[in-house]
Parts: sequence; structure tokens; C-alpha cells
Amino acid sequence: MNERWLLSRRRFLRTLVGTGVIAAADLPWWDAPLISPRRAWAAEPVRFQFSVPEPTRITLVTSLVERFNQSQKDFAVEVEFVPQAQARQKLISAISAGSPPDCCQVWDNWLGQFQGMGALEDLTARVQSWKLQPDVLPTAWQTVTIGKQILSLPLSITLDGIYYRRDRLKEVGIKEPTPDWTWDDFLKIAQAFTKPDKNQYGYGMRGAGTWAVLYPSEFAYANGAQVLKDGKVVINSKEGVDALAWYMDLALKHKVTPPSAPTDGFVEIVETFGRGVTSMYQHNSGSVGQQKKNVGAENFATLPVPIGPAKTRASFYFSETVTAFKGARNKEGAWRFMSFLLEDEPSLMYCKTLGLLPARKSIVEQPDFKGDPALSGFLNSFSFAIVSPYLAYPGWGGKLDSDGVPLIQQAIVGKISPKECLDKFADILTKNMA
Amino acid sequence: MSTAQAALASRRARPLLSLRARSLLTGYLYLTPAALCLLATVAIPIGKAIQLSLYYDVLFKPQDYRFIWFDNYIRLVEDPVFWLTLWNSFVWVFGSVILQFLVGFAAALLLHQAFRGRTVIRTVMLLPWVIPGVVVGLIWQWLYQPNYGVINDLLMKADLLHERVAWLSNPDLAMGAVVFTNVWRGIPFFAIMLLAGLQAVPDELYEAARIDGAGVVARFWHVTLPLMRPIIVVATATRIIWTFNYADLIFVMTSGGPANATQITSTYTLLQAYANLDFGYAAALSVVLLLIMLAFTAAYLRITKGVEETG
Repeated sequence: MNERWLLSRRRFLRTLVGTGVIAAADLPWWDAPLISPRRAWAAEPVRFQFSVPEPTRITLVTSLVERFNQSQKDFAVEVEFVPQAQARQKLISAISAGSPPDCCQVWDNWLGQFQGMGALEDLTARVQSWKLQPDVLPTAWQTVTIGKQILSLPLSITLDGIYYRRDRLKEVGIKEPTPDWTWDDFLKIAQAFTKPDKNQYGYGMRGAGTWAVLYPSEFAYANGAQVLKDGKVVINSKEGVDALAWYMDLALKHKVTPPSAPTDGFVEIVETFGRGVTSMYQHNSGSVGQQKKNVGAENFATLPVPIGPAKTRASFYFSETVTAFKGARNKEGAWRFMSFLLEDEPSLMYCKTLGLLPARKSIVEQPDFKGDPALSGFLNSFSFAIVSPYLAYPGWGGKLDSDGVPLIQQAIVGKISPKECLDKFADILTKNMA
Repeated sequence: MSTAQAALASRRARPLLSLRARSLLTGYLYLTPAALCLLATVAIPIGKAIQLSLYYDVLFKPQDYRFIWFDNYIRLVEDPVFWLTLWNSFVWVFGSVILQFLVGFAAALLLHQAFRGRTVIRTVMLLPWVIPGVVVGLIWQWLYQPNYGVINDLLMKADLLHERVAWLSNPDLAMGAVVFTNVWRGIPFFAIMLLAGLQAVPDELYEAARIDGAGVVARFWHVTLPLMRPIIVVATATRIIWTFNYADLIFVMTSGGPANATQITSTYTLLQAYANLDFGYAAALSVVLLLIMLAFTAAYLRITKGVEETG
């Protein structure tokens, strides 16, 4: 017998110790999953597209995906990060080509168009038998329900509020506004903050992107206007026109907005506040984390949108969701991963890291959210929050960008009157009620 | 000669195809792979776009998909934004190309002179052309930023500005600002192309002109320009076609705003396709763009033919 093949006692013991060390290193994988990621060789791949690739989100989502992959061996999620600007186009092309990802992170205002394309998987049956279904806020379900079909899982919900600089308020000698503040209070503070010679402006008005239309619409609701009433578009009512005129006067008459307002999008309104150019801006809770770094947690706070002349107000809900496609190759894997993202720890980590509000009641009640003053403006807005009226028709989604934004921009620069702007906008909405 | 040999000889003498036909066929056979590639990548997509433009094809309304003849083209004629984008495209293309050409030509004449460090300057000169369009757009967007951009800052420090100017947010200034950026980016293209042309002009011609008493302007007008005409025509025409289809810069810097002030037809097409998912209308816009470019190319071919003849 060839002695080279005989296992000596020493070699056997060495092998045994080595195996033990490897196994021990692999045991605490849940606490430190990145040390020794497990590889499920027989796992079926799940293609997941994530469309807001900024460093924090990329790190967070990569970590969540790895946790999921290590927590079970049936499926292996492969995440693809896509720039937000191209995400929708990429999805549309993939759906048209019959090769969508298995699941994807999307905004609720995309769902209408995708549903119109017949691309979304109806999740209603799965959701109804899901253990976490009762813990998800009913309003969160509203944002992802079209007809009677639940088409997506809400990762987080958010609504709009007003960010303001507390340190600047002290500088100008104005008392902290209370959550029941009014349009007059808002204007007074914006004027006090405005010092053009120091390159400081009261309000960072948004002129670019979909929300350039949504923000003035929220002000319109505070004046008693509505977008839709009894199946008719009524955004160009007297209340709507007056509200838009008041809003545009912030730029045209009171000049409390920076000169860049007509083309300022999400990045610009957040940046100008962070750099001290503006002292108030309207946005959802998504930029809380960034402003904590930029201006410091103690130097800013948030409030609900101000109460208007109609003694009312509205903030539009929307949600960041994760959805599955009819053309998915791995529907079971997609569902398992989507529902994993809403479990306690992933949901808490996702929302806490990004400054978003969890879609689950039990998590939103935790001190990380309830106890954060930077989030109080949003938490105080729940009582008057409504689902965005622009989600009513799939045809409206694209029209907000292609027609609504240029009209608002023309109004901001004074090229058309608020009435002309809203009349044209109402006409476009009416023609696309399908 | 046996009967069989005779039959073979007669078969050899009369092949199925004549030599001319065979050589013609061989030529076409060599061309076939390239022709098939062109068919697959150019002809079929164009045909498909033309077909699509005759349909109502809004992706989120698959139930309404139908043949509508020329309705998309009628809508296009009645669409005031389309005409605005066409005018904007004209300003964008000719504003950019004329300035790029003039400054590029001046740069080429300078770089043609012998001076110390010429190679380094030539290399540095290429930088704006080497940087990707999207990056150029982002860089200039920051430079133009009214609140913390360096352009306003420098102009105010130099006491040339007293108020911050919103270069990209003012509808009267936005097109000028994006054209300026495009000019900055395109100058190296003309400089290098025209420099190559200048280097091909024989020195003897300049010497002869100088002996005849021609001054600097006369030498430029009667020697440099006529000999440079072919390269000027080719470079300008190529650049016009590129700029007409070049949407990256505007898309990044202004997204066509404010208030459609910088919306050109190519960005408008993109908006119709991917914001409204109206692929039928977007296809009609693309076909019209194609026709405009075809008309331009036909005119260009005529001009270059004339140049070759005079050359």
C-alpha cells in the first residue's frame, strides 16, 4: 500500500482543527454577515433593480441583499443599481422587450403607467395572507393600490413638510413657528430670512421635476382648491388660481426665492439650504439625514405645510415601493425578498438610514422616528395627509413632467399669468383622463 | 479528340455565367455582409420608426394601439411646442457651429505658428473635446450656478456684476449659456481638423503670393481659404449633423427648461417617448428630424460636389 495516502494521526488532527476554525468563523454570520458571506450554490437568482444609487443607499441596499442571501439558501438576489434619471426608461425598455427584472424599487407615481402597460404582478392574494399585512399603515396600502389590486409593497411612506433654519430665526429675532402656522407667518419668516446682498433667501422654491407641480398644488389645497372634483379637473378654480398667484408672488413680488428657482430641482433645493443660501424649503423627510450633516441637527427643524386662507391644508403622501413584474422569471424569490425588506430589522435600518418614515405602524412608533425633532413636521402632517391627486390617471404621470413643469416655469418667470398656467394645465389633464 | 473530350471542352467554353457576371456577383457577395449589417442596424430601425409613427402607440394604453395614418404628423404640425423646439434647434445648431468654427479657425491659425510649447498647448487644447458630454454639462452647470457658482463670483469680484445672474434659469439667457458651453466643447474639433488642413497647404503658394505683393489678409483670403474649403465643408457639415442630434448637454444642464427655452427637437422627442410613453408621436418627431437631416445632407453633398469640381 502506498504510504503517501495514509492519513497520519497528526494530519488528521490538523485537518479537524482547521475545519473547526472555519466553521466557527462562519457561525456568527448574522451579526457580521460581510465577514464570510455564504454562498448558496443551488439558489435560484432573483434580479432586483434599485434605482436611487447614491453612496448611502448603495451601501445600505448591498448590505440588505447580502443579509437576505445569507438568511436562506433557496434564492440569491442579484442587485443592479441604476441612476434614478434612467431608471424609468430602463424599466420601460425592459418591460417592452419582455425581460423585466424580477422585482424593482419604484416610486408609487410610476405604478399607474406600468399597470397600464399590463406589466405589474397582482400581489393582492399574497398580501392578504402575509403576516405583516395588518401592521402596514392603511395609507401606505392606498398608495400602492390601483382599482382593487395591490401592486407593490410600500418600503417607506413620506409626505411633504417645510424645513427651516432655527439658528437663523434667532438671528433675525423671530419666535419659533408652531405647527399651526399660517401662510402669513410663512411669508413673514421668508421675508425676514431674505438678504440678497448676503446671498440669503427665505424660500427655496422648486422649479424643476415633478414636485415643481406638486408643491404649489399642496398650497392650492390650503386655499380650498382641489385637482379633481366629481370626476372633473378643477385645479383652475378661483381658489386654485389665487393660491398659485400667492405662491408665484414669493418669487415675482416678494423676491424671497433665489434667482435660480425656475430650474432648481431636488438636488438644488437641498444643496442651497445646506449651504445657507436658503433658510426654508419644502420637501419630504428624505433629506433630513443630509441636512443633519450639512447644517447640523440642532440648527434646523421641520413643520407641516402652513394653513391657508381656507383654514385647511394638505400634504401629499407618496411611497417608495418595491414591486414585482408579470414577466418575472422568479416570482416566488421576488416575493420572498420583497417581504423580507419589510421585516423589522431591514425596515428599521432602511428608513432610519435614509430619514424616511416606515410604512409599518409598529416601527414608526419607535423612538428613532417619534423622538426625532427633525421628523416632527412630517409626523404632525399625518392628520391632513392625502394621496397625491395626480395618481388618479396613469396618463397624468408623464404630463406633469412634459407639460406641467414648463407651465409652472413660465409662471415663475412671469411669462404667463397663474390663470393662464392653470387653464392650460387643466386642459392637458382633462385630455389625458385615461 | 474523343467525343467525351469534345463535350467537356464545349462545356468549359460556355460556363453558366459570363466572366463579367461572375466578377459582378463576386463583388456583390463580398458586399453582402456589410449590406446585411447596414440593413439590420440602419434600414430596419428607420423602417420600424416610420411604421411606428403611423400608429397610436402609448405604452400604458395597449388597448388603444391602432393604425392612425398621419394623425401623429397632423398633431405635430399643430403642436406649438414642436415649432418652438425646431426654432430652438436652429439657434442651438447654427449658434454653436458658427462660433465653434470661427474660434476654432483662429485657434488653428495660432497653433500653426511655430512657438515654444506648441505640442503641450495642442494637447491641452483637446481636453474639452475629450471630456464626455454629460461631464461637461455637469461641470458647466456648477460654474453657472447663480448662488455659489464661480462665474458669478468672479464677475462680482471684478465689479462687472452687481447682482447674481441666473444664467440657466432665465429664459432669455439659458440658450446663450448652453450654446456657450457647446462652443467651448466644440472648439478643439474645429481647431484640430482645420490645423490638419492648414498643414496640407504648400508653403510655396504663400511664398509665391508674398512675392506677388499679397499681404496677410490677401494671402489668407486667396490662398488659405480656397485650399481649406473642402475640409471646412466636411467639418462644418459633420458638426451640424452631430449638434442637431446632440441632446446630452441640454438634457443635463437644463432638461429643456426653463419654460422650454432650451427645448430642442431631440430632447422633446426623448420627453415624449420616456415621460409620456407616447412612442407613436416620438417616432413621428424622429422621422421629421430624419427628413430635415436628409434634406441637409442632400444640400451638403451638392456643395461638396461643387467644391471637388472647383478643387
